[in-house]
Amino acid sequence: MTLPGRESTTFRAGDRVPDLTERRSRASQSFWTLVVGVPAIFSVLRLGVEAGGELQTTLLLVANVNPVNLAAALVTTAARLASAGLVAIFAIGAVLAASSTAAPTSWIGRHPPLFARWRVIAPNWLVAAGFAVALATWPILYLPLLLPALAAAFQFSPDRLDERRVPRLLVLGGLLAGYAYLMLPTLWDAWQQRETFAVLVIAAPPVLALLVPGPIPPIVARPLAMTVQLAVLAMLCWASLPVITTPVLPLTVTTVRADSDAGADGTEDIRGHVITVDDVSTVILEERGGVRYVPADQVEAQVLCPTEGELPRYRLRVRDFHVEDSLLEGMGRRVRPVTRVDAACRATSSAAR
Amino acid sequence: MINASLRGRVRLLATTTAVVLTLLLAAGAGCDSQREPDLPSVQEKLEQTHIFGQSKLRIGVATYEPLMGVLENNKLVGFDIDIARYIAASLGYEGESAIQFVHLATEDRIPALQSGQVDIVVSSFSITEERQKLVSFAGPYFVTTQEVMVPVALKSKIRTIEDLRNPNYRVCVGGGSTTEAELEKHGIKTLVVKNVRDCVDGMRNRKNLYDAVSSDETILAGFRSMYPTEFEIVDLPFGTSEQLGVGVPISDPALRDLIAYFLHQSYLAGRSGKTSPWLTAYHQNLGPWLDGEREQPPPLNVPELVDFDDKAPV
Repeated sequence: MTLPGRESTTFRAGDRVPDLTERRSRASQSFWTLVVGVPAIFSVLRLGVEAGGELQTTLLLVANVNPVNLAAALVTTAARLASAGLVAIFAIGAVLAASSTAAPTSWIGRHPPLFARWRVIAPNWLVAAGFAVALATWPILYLPLLLPALAAAFQFSPDRLDERRVPRLLVLGGLLAGYAYLMLPTLWDAWQQRETFAVLVIAAPPVLALLVPGPIPPIVARPLAMTVQLAVLAMLCWASLPVITTPVLPLTVTTVRADSDAGADGTEDIRGHVITVDDVSTVILEERGGVRYVPADQVEAQVLCPTEGELPRYRLRVRDFHVEDSLLEGMGRRVRPVTRVDAACRATSSAAR
Repeated sequence: MINASLRGRVRLLATTTAVVLTLLLAAGAGCDSQREPDLPSVQEKLEQTHIFGQSKLRIGVATYEPLMGVLENNKLVGFDIDIARYIAASLGYEGESAIQFVHLATEDRIPALQSGQVDIVVSSFSITEERQKLVSFAGPYFVTTQEVMVPVALKSKIRTIEDLRNPNYRVCVGGGSTTEAELEKHGIKTLVVKNVRDCVDGMRNRKNLYDAVSSDETILAGFRSMYPTEFEIVDLPFGTSEQLGVGVPISDPALRDLIAYFLHQSYLAGRSGKTSPWLTAYHQNLGPWLDGEREQPPPLNVPELVDFDDKAPV
């Protein structure tokens, strides 16, 4: 990839740095190894966690969970994290790359940081794909952050909109007006609800996007490169924990006709994940742990339940899309708007057992 | 030259500041996404109530009030019953097997709540200051006014409060009701009996015992639904209203809050033009017998809670 104003490479002849084509080829191999390997490892880890650490339960899950379903479930939950990682790496990398280009004789110019090197060798389609996945999967509240990230990743400064001042200002004004039209009602609601972070995350990014492209002084770039790269990698590791612990199978409550010595009403609600169903029995991985084999003729009803993690924190909407939904989720809710929680889910939380 | 250098420095400073602020904002978003909701959730509230973990919800109801709660062919029907079923389903008790309806006489409603005989009462329970010292109320879910019911033969003769003041007309009321005090306030002499049914029986079976009966419009509408050809409701401007609420033990504020929340959800659905449990209950029971289109009154003291379906389009 060629960053604006970065036609010549920062790596001087005679350095030990291999040429760009070779590095791209190596990077491509590493990239596809990561794309295939990381989800596979995560999937196995997830099954282990889902089974509650029990070897036999893990084996039961491995035997019954379809690999395609497992991969699809992983993509559903990990796409947000993966795109956040890519966007952060490319945006920060581009800023550092621009800084190293601007000061070739400084330390950062002679030793471009890791993220800067990644940004330089990453093809533009990968960067664009990262942003596209982020646009579709990030919570709407955080989408404004993509503006400065996009401006940074492509070093897209307002000067590139138009060389002439007036048309440039007109285009910028139009873009800002469009953003304001979209976000002002939400911004006002956030202000009234005293949601300081929401106000900041809606109002600040368009302004930051105008200022963020361009090099930063080497004296700032060096410490920033070291701390931010470490912080991003650490945050990615930290944020990947929920991906491992997110259940693979959907949470259900199964109403089972109990034995005669059971409760007065003769039924029992089992809260857990259905591993498999066949003619003989329904195999349920209970939420509190353990596997139950329920004879098929005793199952009276089965309902799907939401989990605590799906509770909203904000009461804000952008044009009727809840700010904690991603665009994909928001559109999904338009297709199936009613999501009533079934009564059986209320009466049988894990605390009741 | 100096100008260009200064502009370059300002530009560097602005970019640096913007980069740092963007990073801080991104880090803030990372932390924010892990934050727990500030408001309590419906599930948390439910876990604080005394009913959590119970296999059945015991609901105190009336079984002798036509349109509101009445036993017909061994099945309870009525507006109160439908509201009770909606609340029960919202609390996690859906279907007849999860609900135990307990028949309660009017005077037993408060003792039944206090003694723990029932979990909630949905039985034309008016919210009054006196009662609020003994039990909690969620609601109101209905606002009723005072009306007068007359035999069809007197329909054209009794039309105003002034007509009722005529000593020739004998106006019957149930004892100890707010109706009695209201009629007295308007200078209307009344004949007091034990309950409204006695007034209606007196007007039907023993000819000329009473000429009019006054009570809540819902109760009168119920009797009119039983004898539609015999009686007519006269709309008089008494000016008082009664708010019907769901009775909850005073020791269980979480349950009161939850019921108020679910009544409010129904209220919001009705306001947004969609059908709501309240509207369905109203149209199936009271609607055909009351004048004019009614709307659910907004419940009072509704707590702010979060629930799983909050993200759904409004």
